[in-house]
Amino acid sequence: MNLRKGLRLRSSLIILSLLSLGLGEQLCARQETIYMSVLNSRRNRLNALDNPIVGLFVSTDAGASWKHEGWEYIRTFYTEGGADGAIWSACGNGVLRSTDSGRTWRITTGWEITEVLKVRVDPGNPSVAYAASAYGIFKTTDSGETWKEQNTGFLKPFTSDIVIDWSKTSRLFAASEDGVYRSEDGGGRWALAGVKGKGVRTVVQDPKDAKILWLGTEDDGVFVSTDGGSTWKASNEGLTYLTVYAIAIDPSNSNILYVGTHGGGVYRSTDRGRSWQGRSDGLQNLVVHSLVVLPSTPTIILTGTLNGGLYRSTDGGRRWEFNSQEDGQVWGLSVR
Amino acid sequence: MKSMRVIPFVFLLVTIPARSPRQTTFEQHRQRLIDVVSGERDRGFFTVTAKFTVHRDTAWALRMLDSLTADQSIGGMFYSYAAIGTYLKLRDQLPDSMRQKIRRAFMERTMYRGDTENHWVMYYTGIYLGAQTWPNEGRSQWFNGKSSEENFKEAEGWLNEWMRITSTLGQGEFDSPTYFITFITPVLTLHEFAKDPVMKRKARMMADVLFADFAAEHLEGNYCGGHSRDYPEDIINPLAAPATLWAWLYFGEPKVELWNETRYRPRNRGGWETVFGATSSYRLPEIIYDIATDRSKPYVETETKRLRNVIRFGLEKNPAVYKYTYMTSRYALGSLQGGILQPIQQHTWDVTYVSDKPNNTIFTLHPFYSGRELAMFFPEEQKFLADEVDRYHKVYTSPNKWNSSSPYEQTFQHNNAIIVLYDIDRKAMQQHIDGFFPKNLDERTEDPSGWIFCRAGATYVAFFPLKPYQWIEEEVDWRWRSADLKNGVVVEIGSSDEDGSFDSFKKRISVSRPEYENFDQNLTVQYTARSGDRLKFTYGKARLLNGKPVSFKAYKLFRGPFMLSERGSGIITMMYKDKVRELDFNKVTVREWRRAK
Repeated sequence: MNLRKGLRLRSSLIILSLLSLGLGEQLCARQETIYMSVLNSRRNRLNALDNPIVGLFVSTDAGASWKHEGWEYIRTFYTEGGADGAIWSACGNGVLRSTDSGRTWRITTGWEITEVLKVRVDPGNPSVAYAASAYGIFKTTDSGETWKEQNTGFLKPFTSDIVIDWSKTSRLFAASEDGVYRSEDGGGRWALAGVKGKGVRTVVQDPKDAKILWLGTEDDGVFVSTDGGSTWKASNEGLTYLTVYAIAIDPSNSNILYVGTHGGGVYRSTDRGRSWQGRSDGLQNLVVHSLVVLPSTPTIILTGTLNGGLYRSTDGGRRWEFNSQEDGQVWGLSVR
Repeated sequence: MKSMRVIPFVFLLVTIPARSPRQTTFEQHRQRLIDVVSGERDRGFFTVTAKFTVHRDTAWALRMLDSLTADQSIGGMFYSYAAIGTYLKLRDQLPDSMRQKIRRAFMERTMYRGDTENHWVMYYTGIYLGAQTWPNEGRSQWFNGKSSEENFKEAEGWLNEWMRITSTLGQGEFDSPTYFITFITPVLTLHEFAKDPVMKRKARMMADVLFADFAAEHLEGNYCGGHSRDYPEDIINPLAAPATLWAWLYFGEPKVELWNETRYRPRNRGGWETVFGATSSYRLPEIIYDIATDRSKPYVETETKRLRNVIRFGLEKNPAVYKYTYMTSRYALGSLQGGILQPIQQHTWDVTYVSDKPNNTIFTLHPFYSGRELAMFFPEEQKFLADEVDRYHKVYTSPNKWNSSSPYEQTFQHNNAIIVLYDIDRKAMQQHIDGFFPKNLDERTEDPSGWIFCRAGATYVAFFPLKPYQWIEEEVDWRWRSADLKNGVVVEIGSSDEDGSFDSFKKRISVSRPEYENFDQNLTVQYTARSGDRLKFTYGKARLLNGKPVSFKAYKLFRGPFMLSERGSGIITMMYKDKVRELDFNKVTVREWRRAK
């Protein structure tokens, strides 16, 4: 008992000391878990003994440090945590799921599902998840025990991203090679919602206003919808690189957005996408594929590059510092 | 997955011949191979297998196996089938501690499944045999969180689907002198150790198909014709390919022991995959040996294959690939129809000839590359892919590469004549076409008629460029290069058998100049071969033979004097003289009989 009290007191003193050193920002954010999916590394050599470890890395201190979890080279594109604590990874090998914080994993999918680029867990029901893959959308309603193809309505099923509407979880949006698609019945049927002919790489929903959605496209920049995906308009003023792989919204202020581009690094908007300003100071690699803004501390932003590793900014993107994964392909970032 | 309903097989052998001299050759070659490999010291499962097979240097082999088992950097699909195959072949000779070690490594080590057909054949063969070997294990025992039963079912499902699609629509990574080994080796391993008699039989039938497919385009160790995938080193030096050692083992050709040949340069793991063939109970049906080695009469072999899965920028998942190959005892002229039929390593056309010198081939290509092409087949970003692929395959973006799929290349072949046309977009990567001419040709002359004549031993090549060109001297070849975007060549092949002397060949060819007036406008070439057949080809439009359109739609899965199969039927028939062997993948039966003369 005395020992516990002593430890508690010592912990409190340490926290106070750290706060006084200006490190409170990170500790405030430590409840968040960040999942970084590293697809590969430029340093990887076929059959080499000294290949860098890739796959899933987890941080619980706002990106200050990372721990590798689970498998290595199975081409991990994206990882997300569910409300029940389970972790899901979208991989070349299919959809993986862990229920013990990443110590052990199960490939939930069979041979029919491969090249999965994104997996999203239903925020209201963690046993429901959707996989966006090279072969279209697949859905599980039993925590991955079984999966069902959900491609009715797609002309071309290649999809790289999917969003579950947080205000109505049966409504979905999918980023396809030929426009953005919407489903109103949990993926049972899909219909084109806009930007036909454009390769949509990512789709993001505003965390506060469910009617606002953002698209990042191949060569056509950013599109926004303010009516729940019925109409879309380009939003590219100031955006000089128009292939957009990643979009992140400040959870505390939806007027502030960040986009990751191919070749132009990071751009930031403070007027809800009406104009964009470059925010790449310190980025040594300008092919940005993933972005995340920490909800607890929105000035901390992480950005993943292709072959340049992970960068971190603590001042809203004014200045970036290399964080980890030298020469790594940081394909996906998410936070829970 | 829909489970495949399999009717219990019936295996009818009308004749069971005694061991033939050809089988004796196989026995001699397999023993020689095992003997040679068992003396090697390179680290690999195949070397270990050879050493244990002849009880040579087994203590060292055991240490090597221990090292292979302990090495965490070895994993994935190549490890999958090789590890379990070695275990199953040697388990009676291994100490229990090593058996347990292999079992733990196999079940617990993460294995990447891969992203292409050959990867999956290797991976699922390994998983199938592993789950069969260690049944009744729960989810927690396996690296992928699936029980033995679940793993077995998944692997069985994929293998059945692969055999179904390959026997009806054709192979995806077809006719590859390099990747042949990544199909035949796991298939033989599956045949050897599958306990389910139906799977065992199907694996044997697949081995027959793979060998027969090779045999129909085989010429003294060379895997001839167009290829889905091949490495530049093998394209410009066909006998260097790993498939050649399989030809030596099973077809008895080439006559030389390849490991003593400087021209034989197999890559990866010593190239000793053939040890799994040499230690297998599989024996090549005699009819396939005959198909591989009888070149007494020239023949045309046409085949249909399929593209690997198109995941983007296309509406059809597996469009057809059409192959045309003309085989003689001296040379083979073969082609695919052109276009993007496989990413990265496609080899669209060539003439390959019998020679005791290396680099026994001539061909042209447009060294195209694009991220969009790669994005048709790979899920990563198209602006990222070219650089990424270049990192592994080294030459993908090179203007001088010797393998390429180009959307701006088309062919029209009839017997020993071919027209190859190019209509290269001004924005396309690489604005030239290249041709490979080995330096060791016996003769290479530029005739005032416009023809370039080449002689390699008894094979004669006539090559007519439509546009200006230059020669670039390189280490083993003269690179023929032409920079016109609307371009083409007409090629006709002959030999001493057909034409007598080289002068006679040249004389006959010289009088028949290709017609291509206003080519930049109409992209049309007409050529009358010395057989009298008239070929007319318009890029992107009709191929006319003697005024009649040639339709690829009429192509079968296999069609030639030795192979016949209707596309979609699942029935593949092999024929040689009066002998017939029929593989029915629907009923999983093999029948052999003799035709009435």
